[in-house]
This record gives sequence, structure tokens and C-alpha cells, in this order.
Amino acid sequence: MYALRGIAVSLTFFVLFYCLLSTLVAGAWRALRLLRATDRTLVTLLFALRVFPFAASVLLTFVFVVPSFQLLEPHSVDEGMGAMPLALGLCALLLIAWGCYRVITAQTETSRVVARWLEGAHPLHVDGTSQTVAPALTFQSRREAPPLTLVGVCKSKVLVSESTVSLLTGDELHIALKHELEHMRSRDNLKKLFFRFCPFPGMRQLESAWSQAAELSADDAAVSNPDDAVDLAAALVKLSRLVPVESAPVCTVGFVTGSISARVSRLLAWSEARKAKQNGIRFWHVAPPLIVATIGAFVTYGPALSLTHEVTEWLVR
Amino acid sequence: MKAFSIFWASSRPQLGPFEQQVLEEMWTHGSATVRELLESGRIRQAYTTVMTTADRLYKKGLLDRVAEGRAFRYTPRLSAEELQRTVAVEGIQQLLGSGDAASHPLSYLVEALSVHDATLLDELQLLVERKRKELQDARERKVREQR
Repeated sequence: MYALRGIAVSLTFFVLFYCLLSTLVAGAWRALRLLRATDRTLVTLLFALRVFPFAASVLLTFVFVVPSFQLLEPHSVDEGMGAMPLALGLCALLLIAWGCYRVITAQTETSRVVARWLEGAHPLHVDGTSQTVAPALTFQSRREAPPLTLVGVCKSKVLVSESTVSLLTGDELHIALKHELEHMRSRDNLKKLFFRFCPFPGMRQLESAWSQAAELSADDAAVSNPDDAVDLAAALVKLSRLVPVESAPVCTVGFVTGSISARVSRLLAWSEARKAKQNGIRFWHVAPPLIVATIGAFVTYGPALSLTHEVTEWLVR
Repeated sequence: MKAFSIFWASSRPQLGPFEQQVLEEMWTHGSATVRELLESGRIRQAYTTVMTTADRLYKKGLLDRVAEGRAFRYTPRLSAEELQRTVAVEGIQQLLGSGDAASHPLSYLVEALSVHDATLLDELQLLVERKRKELQDARERKVREQR
């Protein structure tokens, strides 16, 4: 009974933290626009905000709730359990199960579609492009795959349709592949899968803002001179004319995504100076608040455990 | 405003040019009294004209107002983006509900979007080609200078 009560209380706190933090994030993430951050910083901040409710809830539960229960709840007392922790604990279990279900279905659907796209596909060899970009990762697809897309979470691959190869010049294809490989480096498909795991109403817009920022960030990372920028813009415009036959599954990142006109305009205005400014978030940017938070947690740990236990008592009764 | 004036005309009371100007000024200010609008200098009409127009916008549900002394302080009920979205959604719903066969209006919409997309892509292609030529000219100029 003691262990069951501990689990129920932990799950109750987890779901309460999760809902509270998710509501706050869903309501307040737009304030990030006021920061005037670079796209690389913005994409990191948007991702951090999206995963913050889940990560913080897990952290708070394991750092405060579980120890407070273990240390301050007497083992000998055989208390009953109120309806509220039972109901909220059940909600937490349902939330986790729903997240797992969404992840499994997304993965299954992606695997099914990608297997179909890969039928008859062969490694890409165009004017040395595959050798210079990523020899083992690019495949030329014969089937109705999208023009250019990154697929998969663990063993990612870039699929290039036959029409894309015939439509783009060598340089355009090279830079477009670099763009997709930037998504691979950032593990964007894994991030999308994680979004599926922690759903919450109102998060869709945050995810779509992240997706747009991720495209701009991959554009920036792929381009290193004005010619690259023009080639990437040209590839975008050309591939935008190829209508995809079917909608892409979750664990894929298509090349033609987001606002095409915004991306093209941005690429055409590319400059060395802007590239130099595109520094992402470094460790020393986050170190001071992290240190302060850790010291704060150490100093207030005892009283915080007592407070958590009081709230637990109130919840259980 | 022009972008959705077609839908606006059919689904809501149409806005006159001066009403549009006052609404745009309200969006710029966030909230304003008639006097503050006049003091900004961009509206050159009589006080009573602006007051009547703001009152009309309030009655059309586009502005909120609270009493402030002997005047009213007006605030836009929707942002420009929200209004555009509302009008577009209403317009599209009206379009989809207008035909006998549900698929007809939808096909018109797809056709219009395809034409719009193609035109936009043509314009973007032109920009890309222009930029490419600029870069090529700059390169050739540099080579000539080096010689």
C-alpha cells in the first residue's frame, strides 16, 4: 500500500506540474519573438520551451516529490488513499500511454511509407555529389517519394526523387542535400517524435514555429557563400513546383517546407555578416542561470521537501 | 485590408476608405482617443468626422471603447492578423457553401491557389535569376579589374 501510494502521489504531482507548465508555455511562448534572437538561437529556444513542461515535470517529481515521500512519509502508517491522487495518477498513466501510442503509430506509419518509397531505390551518384556530401545516406527513389526528404529517426536517410535529380543542377542538388543533412545533424526527426510523445492542447502553433525556424536554421547552416545561397533558393523554387503525391509521415523532414517566399527572400539577401552573427546558444549563456538554480535548489531543498510533503498529505486526504 | 476586401464586401458591412484608415491608425496606436488620433497628424479630418467614424467602427464590432473623461478611448477588438484570418475563413466558408455541388467551389479554390502559387513561383524564379546574374557580373568585373 505504501509503494502504491508513493507511485500515485508521484504521478499526481507529475500530471499537475505537466498541465500547469504546458498551459504556461502554450500561452507565453510568443513572447520569444520580442527577443530578436537569431534563427539558430530561436530554434533552440523554441525546442527547449516545447520540451520544458515534460522535462521539468519529470525533474521536479524525481527531485522533490519522490524523496519527500520516501523521507517524510512514515512506513508504518497504513493510510488510505484519497480519490484525487487515484484519479490524477490514472490521468498521468493515460497521458503517458497516449504519448507512447502516438509515438508507436508515428514510427509504424513512417516505416511503412518509407519502405514503399525505398522500393527500387539505389545510392545516389551525380557528378560526385554523393561522395562529397554523404555517400551512404542518400538514395535515389523511383517511387512516389517527395522531391527531397530526410526520413527516419535512428538510421536517417535522405531520399531524392528521380525528378529532383533531373531538375536540379549539380550545385543545386549538392546544397539542397547539405540542407537536409543539417536536419539530420540536428536530429530534427527525433525532436518531432518527442513532440508526439508529450501532447498538449495549444502546442501545435509552437511546433509549427519551431519547424519554420528549423528550416531557416538549416538553410543558414548549409550556405557558406552567396553562390550557395542562390543555388539553394533556385533549388527551393524548382522543387516547389513538384507537387507531392501524398502527405509526408511524421518522422520525415521535407525540403520544401515552411514559407517558400520567406526562405527564398532570406537566401537572396544572404551576407557574410549575417552568417557571422548566426551563433547558437553556447554553454556559458546557460551556465549562470543553471548554477543559480542549482544553488537555490540546494539551499531550499529541506524546506521544499517539507512543503512538498505537506501538499502530499493534503492531496492524499 | 485590400487583400481581403472581396470577402469583406460579401460577408460583413463594407468598410469605407476613411474607416479603414481610422482602423489602421488604431492598430498602430494600440488604443487611442479621437484627439490622440488627430494629434498623430496622419488623419486630417474634422474632430466630429473622426468621432462619427470611430463610433461607426464601434457599432460594427471592430472597436471596443471605455469612457475617459468626456470622451471615449477606443481599442481594436481584433488585431490586423486576427481580422484578416476571420474574414478569410468566413469568405472561404461562404465560397464553399455557395455551389450546388460541394466539390465545385473547392475546385475553384484549388485552381485559384494553383494559379497564385505558379505566379508567385515565377516571380521568385525571376528574382533568383536576377541575383545569379548580379553575382556573375560582379565576378566578371573583379576578373577584369585584376587583369
